[in-house]
Amino acid sequence: VLLLAIDTSTRRVGVAFGSEQGLVAAVTLGGPADPGPPRHAERLAPAIEYAKAEAGIDLGHVSAVTVSVGPGMFTGLRVGVTTAKVMAHALRVPVIPIPSLDLLAYPLRHTRALVVPAIDARRNELYFAIYRSVPGGLQRESGYDLGTPSDLSGELEARAEEALLCGDGAIRFRDAFAGLERVEHAGPGHVAPDLAALVELAAARYEREEFVAPSEVVPMYLRQSDAEIGWQRREAGAAW
Amino acid sequence: VKARTRSAERTRALGGAIAAWLRPGDVVVLAGDLGSGKTTFVQGLAAGLGVTEPVVSPTFTIVREYEGRVPLAHVDVYRLDRVQELHDAGFEELVDGERITVVEWGDAVQRALPAEHLAVDLESGAAPDERLVEVHTQGPGWSDRLRAIEAAVARFGEEDD
Repeated sequence: VLLLAIDTSTRRVGVAFGSEQGLVAAVTLGGPADPGPPRHAERLAPAIEYAKAEAGIDLGHVSAVTVSVGPGMFTGLRVGVTTAKVMAHALRVPVIPIPSLDLLAYPLRHTRALVVPAIDARRNELYFAIYRSVPGGLQRESGYDLGTPSDLSGELEARAEEALLCGDGAIRFRDAFAGLERVEHAGPGHVAPDLAALVELAAARYEREEFVAPSEVVPMYLRQSDAEIGWQRREAGAAW
Repeated sequence: VKARTRSAERTRALGGAIAAWLRPGDVVVLAGDLGSGKTTFVQGLAAGLGVTEPVVSPTFTIVREYEGRVPLAHVDVYRLDRVQELHDAGFEELVDGERITVVEWGDAVQRALPAEHLAVDLESGAAPDERLVEVHTQGPGWSDRLRAIEAAVARFGEEDD
């Protein structure tokens, strides 16, 4: 099974082609070390085109498009999820949506420590989840959460277990975790969702026919608000 | 600090004078009724940032972005009914970054805004193009620029005399 994989949930743009046997091609651009703006919209289509052309891939052989649906950067997710849907629709293949935090955690599944991916959510907040290694993979022990670095550090302190932090949020807010004794950082090799993990997890789901129609795919946005905007002034303006 | 501008041109000039003191990551919150000159003020501010494209009201698009010496995001929340729509427009990423963000009707969504911002309140004056403008800073991040901004705005107050 040949899959097209797209991840734009962080500052890094990632594109890969691969199967259950591994990657055929992978292109990544940008990331936390890139001083410029992320430019997901400008980079994604050329990255797909480059990977396809240089690896000699016929898009007609792609069986499904898999995409990291977040949580993560709002603008990146819009570009990545939309591109995945449009390509799947055009190729008449299904989409396999996979959460970004799962893709950060999966390569670290062979540790006994809790695996804690944290993506920078801006405005001093993180998207995070907590995973535990189990035979055959990882089990998620929390929701996909949004909170401040001190929320996460408090959660880790309360669990009093060894934990391995990964993701760009863990690096950006490193100081918030400095006081925790049993917490280690996976480092710059684990700042962005892993493309090999995306292809591997998606290939397994494809075999189980766990996929969705392109039109049903939505990004995972965790920022929720029930608040209505107080519009005394607008009402006054309408009357005027 | 307060100012009084007697023409749209002067309201634009005030925006330009304030632009000189803005930095990447700043948020400017504009308050004022319909027709009080918010978009006119932003046009001057954009020009001061080196934006050459025409600046038009983003009422129906919610967000417009411009390239200047610092990128500018012009947000208008007038058409929104729920704070969720601001999240859905990617507001958190806009205000946490390399650009200057101006929010029209921002006072209506105060709680969703960064605590640190520059507040600009506009009000129509007695004459048709006269505007009363009040500028104040919120948060310690502005303390080193407070004097300079006050002085820049105060120069427009002298028009009174």
